[in-house]
Amino acid sequence: MSYQNYVIAAYCVFAVVMLWDFVAPRLQVRQQLRAARLRATRAGRNTTNEFPLSRE
Amino acid sequence: MHPVVRWFHQLGSPPYFERFAARWAPIAYIAGLLVMAYGLYGALFVVPADYQQGDSFRILYIHVPSAWMSMAAFALMALYAAIALIWRIKLCEILAMACAPVGAAFTLITLATGSIWGKPMWGTWWDWDPRLTTELILLFLYLGVIGLYNAIDDRRNASRAAGLLAIVGVALLPVIHYSVTWWNSLHQGQTISLFGTSHMDPSMLPPLWAMVIGTHLWFVGSLLARARADNLRRESGKDWVARLAEPRA
Repeated sequence: MSYQNYVIAAYCVFAVVMLWDFVAPRLQVRQQLRAARLRATRAGRNTTNEFPLSRE
Repeated sequence: MHPVVRWFHQLGSPPYFERFAARWAPIAYIAGLLVMAYGLYGALFVVPADYQQGDSFRILYIHVPSAWMSMAAFALMALYAAIALIWRIKLCEILAMACAPVGAAFTLITLATGSIWGKPMWGTWWDWDPRLTTELILLFLYLGVIGLYNAIDDRRNASRAAGLLAIVGVALLPVIHYSVTWWNSLHQGQTISLFGTSHMDPSMLPPLWAMVIGTHLWFVGSLLARARADNLRRESGKDWVARLAEPRA
């Protein structure tokens, strides 16, 4: 018997888990950088609107 | 100061580590992928089928490297955790906790591929055999470390608590390794040895060593990428992260 289906199933499991292992940290890094960008934008907006009446 | 010692000190700095990990993680991934591609080609197309197990023995080429990696990752995690606990090095806390998901992934591969291999060879998907059971406990330990780390809000306290669990859990590693020797096991005994004689035909070994090296390189890439994400998470309020996140013109 060749047991081909078992071999294919095992290699598919390996590929899927490795793919997850590759994608998951990249998504985390992207999420952290996006959060930092949003924080910076928010901080910038707060600084410009700190004394809105003093500019008038 | 010696340049190597200075480099180690520099590596402990979060912005320096960010640059280091961002540069080396893709290189380790690509190197791992190339070496694994060579190993997989050899495992699937070059190596002849086993005279007893037929083609099912080809599962060995992903099962064994993953099993070795699952134990090596846990040992490394415990080592980083011990260094972090003794010398309070933040980067070691990050690296210790980054080992857990990668190690858990390799443990999952080991259990799943072992189960798939066991069905045609043993006639069952699962058996409460010492090797299988201890490897399952290893997966639970990994999940325990990940769960504990994410259950506590303070990152430093969380990594210390989870690191302690990793250090205690390292006692399981020799039990996993010697389980096939100590107990009457359904799982086969040691056939491949890193330093001693392997009970496999030499023509079957090169793809296996390629897979072992490939999974180690992949582990380095994944460890750096995960540590980078955690480093950014911990340093989220700092100026250097804000500068890093600025859109480039």
